[in-house]
Amino acid sequence: MKDNNTSVPSVKAGESTATRLVRGLNRHVLEIILLFLIVIVSLTSPYFLTAGNLLNILRNVSMTGIIAFGMTFVIIAGEIDLSVGSTVGLSGVIVALITRELSEKGMSVTNACIAGISVSLISCALLGLFNGLLRTKFKMPSFIITLGMLNLLYGLAAVLSDGFPITKLPEWYSWFGAGTLFDIIPVPALFLLAVFIITAVVIRYTRFGRSVYATGGNPESARLSGINVNFVKIIVMIVVQVCSAIAGILLSSQVMSGTFNFGRGWEMTAISAVIIGGASLSGGSGKIWGTFLGLIFLGVISNAMTLNGVDDYVQYIVQGALIIGAVLINSIQSKRRKG
Amino acid sequence: MSILEVKGLTKIFPGTVALNDVSVSFESGRVHALVGKNGSGKSTMLKILSGSQKATSGSFYLDGEEMHFSSTADAFSKGIATVYQELSLVPGLSVTENIFLGRMPKKRGIIDYRRARKEARELLEELDIDIDADLPVSGLSMWQRQMVEIAKAMSFNPRVLQLDEPTSSLARHEVESLFKIVRSLREKDVIVIYVSHKLQELWEIADTCTVIRDGEFIGRVEMESTTRAGLVSMMFGDVQIQERPKDLMVSDEVVLSVRNLTRKGKFTDVSFDLHRGEVLGIAGMLGSGRTELLKSVFGADPFNSGKIFFAGREMHSPSLIRMKKLGMALTPEDRKHEGLILEDSVASNLCYASLRELSPNGFMKKGKEREFVDRQVEALQIKVASPRVSVGSLSGGNQQKVVVGNWLNTHPTVMFFDEPSRGIDVNAKQQIFRIMWDQSRKGVASIMVSTELEELFEVCQRILIMRDGRLIGEAYPEELTVNSLYAMCMGEGEPPRPVGSGGKVKTERQN
Repeated sequence: MKDNNTSVPSVKAGESTATRLVRGLNRHVLEIILLFLIVIVSLTSPYFLTAGNLLNILRNVSMTGIIAFGMTFVIIAGEIDLSVGSTVGLSGVIVALITRELSEKGMSVTNACIAGISVSLISCALLGLFNGLLRTKFKMPSFIITLGMLNLLYGLAAVLSDGFPITKLPEWYSWFGAGTLFDIIPVPALFLLAVFIITAVVIRYTRFGRSVYATGGNPESARLSGINVNFVKIIVMIVVQVCSAIAGILLSSQVMSGTFNFGRGWEMTAISAVIIGGASLSGGSGKIWGTFLGLIFLGVISNAMTLNGVDDYVQYIVQGALIIGAVLINSIQSKRRKG
Repeated sequence: MSILEVKGLTKIFPGTVALNDVSVSFESGRVHALVGKNGSGKSTMLKILSGSQKATSGSFYLDGEEMHFSSTADAFSKGIATVYQELSLVPGLSVTENIFLGRMPKKRGIIDYRRARKEARELLEELDIDIDADLPVSGLSMWQRQMVEIAKAMSFNPRVLQLDEPTSSLARHEVESLFKIVRSLREKDVIVIYVSHKLQELWEIADTCTVIRDGEFIGRVEMESTTRAGLVSMMFGDVQIQERPKDLMVSDEVVLSVRNLTRKGKFTDVSFDLHRGEVLGIAGMLGSGRTELLKSVFGADPFNSGKIFFAGREMHSPSLIRMKKLGMALTPEDRKHEGLILEDSVASNLCYASLRELSPNGFMKKGKEREFVDRQVEALQIKVASPRVSVGSLSGGNQQKVVVGNWLNTHPTVMFFDEPSRGIDVNAKQQIFRIMWDQSRKGVASIMVSTELEELFEVCQRILIMRDGRLIGEAYPEELTVNSLYAMCMGEGEPPRPVGSGGKVKTERQN
């Protein structure tokens, strides 16, 4: 597994405290930048550091964050999934569509909605399986498969919903996306926390986690060590799709409608968070904690710009520049490591 | 009539002298073989002459003019063309486009396909190569590609043509066609430099033979006045064989049995037995099918027919994961690309093959993992400040030990070592061999493959000889000299007996 420590040379005896300090700072560069950012933003806007605003940030990053954690697996395994944004829309549409159809056939709305949620999760898992099989059986690049799926699923969601939001959903459904715990903590943030803990534990403490790093680090070495590389790839493709389905359900619940164009462009945010968090697109490295920092980073910047009345489109510019900047820092660091 | 003179050519890499003051000359109208074992420096010489490397000192002259190359393109334009073993053709382009790659004839700035095709056709015809110039290269067989490669080189009208192992991937009748073309080049007054490790073909194709050993020029001889034995002893000199420990025992018990195993195009009808505690060597040149054989037995690659008996039963369609579970291990030939995950830590790399044992319920047992890591770091004397540093930062020898340790952690009963000593220093080599003997004392059976045949003498109790994908026989190290073994691998002479017919080891046990 990739530890912080593996990314820097070993500690050599007789090294000065200063060099060790520099190395420590280097290792936590993202944390430091984030801290700076928070200080600066809180100076520009007094409202920033209020509990309400912080919870607001958390709510805003929750749904893309769930996808980003799943995406971390995919990227560590050396793959990519560009279709997740469309899955978000599709999964909401499936929930709402099944709820409407079944309740019109006489089922209670509650049962119909539960059926809808189940079908949504299962079908998205099958989509991941499909992507994974195309990847492993036919050796197609996941970039191309999921680029196709990005459009395919978007179109499918639009066709299924006739292009209109489907709003027949039971009242309790709104709890997932809009509810709060103790009247303060947003429920999506709880989902985010749960997914964070599960993925962090899996990646750090399980055999599967190790296999994911090995698969992305060097698939041939992993295969010759007896790791089932294809199995790993299929599973990560399923994981990210299920994460996207959960995000889609939360979003449809927040708005109380299944709408096909929900989640448009979320793949960008999710992938950005993973990359800013230090993962390499060539696979083999990345951390859930890093992705979490990347996520907060993006959330804080977006929030700060909104608070300061920065134009929406400018936010796109900043987000794009951030990704390039993050990758640039990573490249420089790894170049220096290799000497 | 032209002449290529090499004077005092020296190439020093950090830590090693690849070529030491080599002087030799090659005249036109003849085919000059250039031979030497792996790492002798012949490839380095080829690379310097082709402009892809610069000499540390010394110079070479073509028809009296001193040559200075800053690139391979330079060498081509000055009249030295080189065809490498790894072909450099672009599969998606046609034969014509490949021949004139980067210098297609143009008319008013636009590529003149008509002229290109015509010139390509003329060139192929002149060389007596029967290949359609319009075909895409991806549809051609290996030897046809080789021909296109030669045609491409000849389109530069070179005075010198260097061929690096041109027959290594060709079948016998294809070799004939190649030779026909090489001979026709001789008529065209070209200086042909021909690198090969297939000794027997040198008498068919070459006029002279230049031998390099350990970077030194050993001699240049006329083929017609040279015997095979003479050439072999020039190539290998006197080889010192280290003593093998005396206490190694081979049991009668067969732990692995391979019968009539065939993988099309790689190896054919291979049968052998491996005994408990035995260290078995497979001797063969590059491309003889040794690596492919090990991988197929290990379940990492498929095979077409034949049977494998392991752990007391026949393995129907063995998979790597199952073979590993039953106690088989393989340290691959190319440790950087097949054996290690370079950016990961030493600790992780020592545990990848034993992940299942380290996580019986899916969760990694950290304590046990540390135990596994420490055990190997200590037992194999892996020199590392901390097991958490990345394995890519280690020396070759230590990396190889990590590969071995990764597999020892699976507690194998049969271990395959594919080129375990490649690119590591003498000390590390000895340590790796000692590890193999230690395993043998514990009853682990090993198969070792090495291009450095003298290592097999040092390490193994029995040696199988592989040539062109077939096991042609076996021998005990005591019965052979290194030179005769090299000669057998290169197609000269027959082994003492067929595989599996020797009884010496067994009688030793019975007494």
